[in-house]
Amino acid sequence: MEFDLKTIEALAPDQASLSAASKLTRQSNWPRLEKNEELALVWGECQGSGSNPYRVVVDTGDHGYKCTCPSRKFPCKHTLALMWIAATAPASFTAAGSAPEWVNDWLGRRRKTTSPPAVPTPGAARKSIGEASLDDESATVEDAAAIERREAAQRKRAEDTRSSVAAALDELDQWISDQLRLGLAGFVDNSSDRCRRIAARLVDMKATALAGRIDEIPSRLMGLRSEERPDAAIRELGKLVLLAKAWRQTPDDAELRRLVSTSESREQVLANPHAIQVESLWEVLGEKIETRRDGLVSHSTWLLDLKSAAPRFALLLDYFPASAGRRSNAFTPGDRFVARLVFYPARQPLRALVAERRGDVSSGQWPDFSFGAADPLAAHVAHQDTAPWLTDCPVLLPPGAILLDDRGDAWWQSTDDPHGIALPIADAVNPTLLGLDLAATAALWSGSRLHLLAAQSGFGRLDLS
Amino acid sequence: MNEIEQTGLATMRDCWITGGTSFELAPATWKEFAAGAGPDERERRLLAIAAQALEIALRPAAPKTLKRRAPLPELALPMLPERLRPLLRAALKHAADARGKSRVVALVASRGFVLHPMDWMPAASDQTSPDVYAPWIDWQASVDGEKHTSREQLTAKNWDEFYPAARRSALADMRRTAPAVARQLIETKGSSEPAEIRLALIALMHFGLGAGDVPFLKSLSADRSGKVRELAGRLLARLGEHGQPGDGGPEEPTAELAAFITEGKSGFIRRRTTYAPAKLKSPAQERRRAELFETCNLVDLAARFGVTETDFIGAWQFGADNNVDILVSRMVAASGSDTAVTHMADTLAAEGGKPAPFVLHLMPRLDSRRQRDLIRLILKDTHYLGVLSLAEGVEAGWLDWADLTNGKTLPALCAAVAGNDEAVKRGADQFLETLGFFATAAVAEKLIGDVVAAGMAPAAPSLGLLRLNASLAGP
Repeated sequence: MEFDLKTIEALAPDQASLSAASKLTRQSNWPRLEKNEELALVWGECQGSGSNPYRVVVDTGDHGYKCTCPSRKFPCKHTLALMWIAATAPASFTAAGSAPEWVNDWLGRRRKTTSPPAVPTPGAARKSIGEASLDDESATVEDAAAIERREAAQRKRAEDTRSSVAAALDELDQWISDQLRLGLAGFVDNSSDRCRRIAARLVDMKATALAGRIDEIPSRLMGLRSEERPDAAIRELGKLVLLAKAWRQTPDDAELRRLVSTSESREQVLANPHAIQVESLWEVLGEKIETRRDGLVSHSTWLLDLKSAAPRFALLLDYFPASAGRRSNAFTPGDRFVARLVFYPARQPLRALVAERRGDVSSGQWPDFSFGAADPLAAHVAHQDTAPWLTDCPVLLPPGAILLDDRGDAWWQSTDDPHGIALPIADAVNPTLLGLDLAATAALWSGSRLHLLAAQSGFGRLDLS
Repeated sequence: MNEIEQTGLATMRDCWITGGTSFELAPATWKEFAAGAGPDERERRLLAIAAQALEIALRPAAPKTLKRRAPLPELALPMLPERLRPLLRAALKHAADARGKSRVVALVASRGFVLHPMDWMPAASDQTSPDVYAPWIDWQASVDGEKHTSREQLTAKNWDEFYPAARRSALADMRRTAPAVARQLIETKGSSEPAEIRLALIALMHFGLGAGDVPFLKSLSADRSGKVRELAGRLLARLGEHGQPGDGGPEEPTAELAAFITEGKSGFIRRRTTYAPAKLKSPAQERRRAELFETCNLVDLAARFGVTETDFIGAWQFGADNNVDILVSRMVAASGSDTAVTHMADTLAAEGGKPAPFVLHLMPRLDSRRQRDLIRLILKDTHYLGVLSLAEGVEAGWLDWADLTNGKTLPALCAAVAGNDEAVKRGADQFLETLGFFATAAVAEKLIGDVVAAGMAPAAPSLGLLRLNASLAGP
């Protein structure tokens, strides 16, 4: 390790970064801390405010670094915290024989700096590690009256939001009726403008989450063949009607509030005594990183519970601004780890947070989930029965294969039911996949297309995301 | 969903597509849910029911003509262990071109493993991958997948049961052990194949080429394809057979080429003949000479000067014109007899220094001892390290530490790594990748240590193939 606190002080962009980094130096924030002295690297995974951990790697030789967080400060607090731990508690790092793939990826892309490392910046004198360490102790204590005033203001804001969202949903209802009256053919052709307009109104009226969903309708429709789009429009708009009705019935329902206005914070979910907690062995099935029309990037990581009798999934979901640039993946598909997950309360709990990660496990086959002979989309139907407003549903498909139709589009079909159900696949598939028998396939069913995540085959695990 | 509901849904759907109210068209049971509300609310309720019906009760209609590919065959070697796949992917990612990737594949195959099909697949037109991949090449080439790759002996009877790559692989093996049997098969079955396949089949005859092949090769002078005729002529030339005799006039290609070569004398006491490229007057003449070197055979050119192939090569003044030297090397590689090829390799290797890299063109025709000797010679000097990346047909994983340290190569490499010249560093990166293919696992590991000590980033991508090589040392 070639860090000292002076170097970290010099590298920090400002005092605030150092203060923030000092709070992250507790080992509980770092489920993984590893080093490779031959490669002169330290790396780790920091559980930040998002669902996905941030991956940080630092070159101890030239102090080059990379963090997957969306911060615009360089180095960010996670990088500084990793350096800080390396300087003060090097024993916290486990020696690793080789660097993981995400570290190798970064090394492959980076350009080595030729300038000497850690030149103190002019403002360095105003930053102090000692001061940052004291920040924790100088937290101010609020008096009871101030707490009361703050809570009253919160209640008022919540009430205002509720009225505003109710008005937004009335406007949405009217907008849906207008689309039916004007014709869905026109809506499909002009969905981009029409959805943008109502989404902007909903944002103004604090139905932010719903606005984001409506903004994505055009791209969901355009992903389908033209003859499928009217049916898809009926499904999309009908689900909005159902969601609006459900919210009006129980506006305080956490799941509905999350889908219509805003989501609860990480801390609120972790503190919620009713939130389901599952400690198990999880496998990372795959990731989806999509830039949305509202300027946010949604980062979904799908996990499979390897210890439950029936397939159980979890979704780690984060949003960050697209302007923060491309972000590396938080996990590598196929990673397995023991962790305690806390699920956001919902009728079909799916979105979750990693509350505690205990350690990595080597990969292997999936357990035998003993698929029934019934409908491969039974899980989707069950989801729709309890939460009909949901769009994407994770499914684990029984033994099958990928086939091509006359247009060259790919379909998944069950091995045991070659003349029955076949599910169309959203994207072009790797041609090699057409020759593999899939013992089990994990995918997302969107109601009209299958988005493949991973599969097990005679050639082992296949990463399809 | 019953039939009435399905019909109702279809008419409602049509109504909504064009615009309007669908309440009157809805099935009676659906109407019950919507009744009692205003017109807009009724439509929204029906829309919600229709959405759920579409979501749950209806499934995409599967086309009747879904096509299933034949299962991807398993290969004869085991798959690369899962823990090494990240290293492999890093090495493949860093390999700049198809040649680089095929070296990664060849190195892994030389250690007894094959790649995972999702990491790499040979193309249908691949003819350079290790033979173990033949079933995958055939799988790539097949569309309907009716045939099966047979592990039986290839015969005229089961010829059609073999895919082209498996057939090619079987014929190559047969040419090494029983060349006459293989020739008879090519002779019997090849004539009915299209020109492209016929050409590939005739090309296989360079394995175990012998005097017994002459009558068949001569019979190909009447082949429909010009390329087949040309290839047969080259193979005959390798056997010392002269091409079609011309009239010997200046228009005859070999005569024209000979006119572009100057015959001279050297030595004071023992006068000996020399051949050197003539000074030409225009680029057009140089282009013409290059074309003639590509099409003429060594045996004919030597005969034109009244000498044997080896005498001609011995008298050629290597070093006078680099470009013409390369052309001569390529002509020898394409049409020289085995004796001429080894003579040229040995002559140039014995001279060492500058001309030696030209022998790289002969590599595919040299035995592995000569290939290794030549590469050792090039490594001893530091001037031509770059050309090593062009060497083809060389085995993987044999270079010892002594080969690398028996000269200035290693110090030069470490100096390049430690220096600040970006162009030299890029050259060093490319050379390290080449060494990643040639080196034994132990050398790969030791070399990584040395270049890292010299200042290279320990995880530099250019060390990717060396790292993979080192990790493939043993179980």
